[in-house]
Amino acid sequence: MNHKELIAALSEKMNAPKSIVESLLETTVATCTELLVEEKTIGFQSFGNFEVRKKEERLSVHPATQVRTLIPPKLVVNFKQSTILKDKLKDLPHE
Amino acid sequence: MSKDKISSQEIIDFVSSKASVSKRAAEEFLKVLTSTIEEALMAGEVVKIKNFGTFKMQWNEQRKSVNVQTGEDIILPGFHKVTFNPDSQLRDLVNEPFAHLEPVELDGSPIEKTNTSFEPPLDPLRTLNEQAFEIRNILDEIRELSTIIDGKVESIEIVEQEHTFELREDVVEPIIDSNIIESERSEYSVEEMAEPIVVEPELSVIIEIEKVENELPHQDFEEVDIQINFNPKSESAVPEISISITESSESEPELNDSVSDHNVLIEEQNEKKRKHKKTWLIVISSLILLVFLGIGAYSFYPPARNFMDKNYSSIKFSVLKKSESISMTDMFNTVSGWFASKKENEIVPQSIVIPKDTMQIDSIEAKPEVDSLQILFDNPRVYTTYLGTERIHDGSRLTIMAKRYYGSKDFWVYIYEANREHIANPDRIPVGTLIKVPKVDKRLIDSSNERCIRKAKELHDIYVKRN
Repeated sequence: MNHKELIAALSEKMNAPKSIVESLLETTVATCTELLVEEKTIGFQSFGNFEVRKKEERLSVHPATQVRTLIPPKLVVNFKQSTILKDKLKDLPHE
Repeated sequence: MSKDKISSQEIIDFVSSKASVSKRAAEEFLKVLTSTIEEALMAGEVVKIKNFGTFKMQWNEQRKSVNVQTGEDIILPGFHKVTFNPDSQLRDLVNEPFAHLEPVELDGSPIEKTNTSFEPPLDPLRTLNEQAFEIRNILDEIRELSTIIDGKVESIEIVEQEHTFELREDVVEPIIDSNIIESERSEYSVEEMAEPIVVEPELSVIIEIEKVENELPHQDFEEVDIQINFNPKSESAVPEISISITESSESEPELNDSVSDHNVLIEEQNEKKRKHKKTWLIVISSLILLVFLGIGAYSFYPPARNFMDKNYSSIKFSVLKKSESISMTDMFNTVSGWFASKKENEIVPQSIVIPKDTMQIDSIEAKPEVDSLQILFDNPRVYTTYLGTERIHDGSRLTIMAKRYYGSKDFWVYIYEANREHIANPDRIPVGTLIKVPKVDKRLIDSSNERCIRKAKELHDIYVKRN
């Protein structure tokens, strides 16, 4: 499901025109991005948390060439599903 | 950094105010959004949101584990997990504080990581041997030259190309005690040369020249030892120390102090004492000049300071080896013969460039960058250009701004410095205050440089304690 399909599905469920849904989704994304840049944790109830985690710098060694590379620290967005979502997924049969 | 958690309710508030829709509509939208994503995921689909990221379902296989309390093997059942892979745009925005860092390939040993600035000093013994060997070569050349010119040795200068440190050896003597001059007779006495010359307590460059003279009527040098002691604390300073040794056949040594560009004539001691006093005055004044020159060089010329700060305890050159004393006797015979013919007040400057080992050069070259940083630290910062203006709202922090603009929250002190007149307490800035974010020298806010961080933390301590 890509962006367009998502908007289509949303507009159908909300009985709202696609343009409005699209602008709403855009503002949501913008808001979330802004908050994440400030290193805030965002919690969506019954869905999960978005948080920024810092990956420390590390020394990686190329297994074949033995070249050592110092990987700088970085900040990444991490998503952790909520327990509610996890429980829902438990009922899902696996293959 | 504040790890505030934003709840769904707050997100609803933000969205409703930004998109200017009612809170209910925003709430409904977010609910529908999450449920749609969930449904799509459950259906085994991948959900992609533009500029945000991709949600995927992942199956984690069951695995064995151990119950920590009982030590029993247990099997953790497999489970589904929603994973989120941020879009490149979001990833870059979030990682902005570290965006300037790039992976560094390290070749070879991990030592390079820790040891970047200083090379280990060379083995002093080895350099001494090298220098002794080089000096011997030089002296061989001198002897050859002297035989060619046949007594007309005027100035011999040998420069070793790979070395830059120039120590003009020629006589010397910044100070000759007047008593010594008086006591001195027609022969050029050794003892007075051997006397250590301490220029001033804080300028303790001790130039010690020992000459062992034979009993022969003419002056012969058997061994010349030049010892230069550098006290690390000493203010003296120019890496180049020029010493000129002047010698005359009779008893008037003429001093040529080339550091201060002063020629000091020490008159014959047969002459009146008044003249001695005059000379003494000149010597003292030239000395004072030398001291000031040294202090000036020390304080304004960082390489000189580095040079002095390096612990150079002693460089000792053995100019002449005993084995060569005979050949040198020949050489100085010719020299003294020349003196005799030319009469008094003649000068024979011999200049030998004494090598300085490469380590010194390295240390000098390695430091300037660091020292310019120190100067930056010490100078008060003046803020004229600004990167932007920020209005303080609830939850604003100077540290957050610093992180956004400079890459590290530690550098908030510079923002504070630039806005000090508006901020009473950096911990509690009233909402609505306009903060100007100054442009700070790149070198000051290098978050990868430990010294910058340390300096910022020092400032932090100062400002936080004061309030």
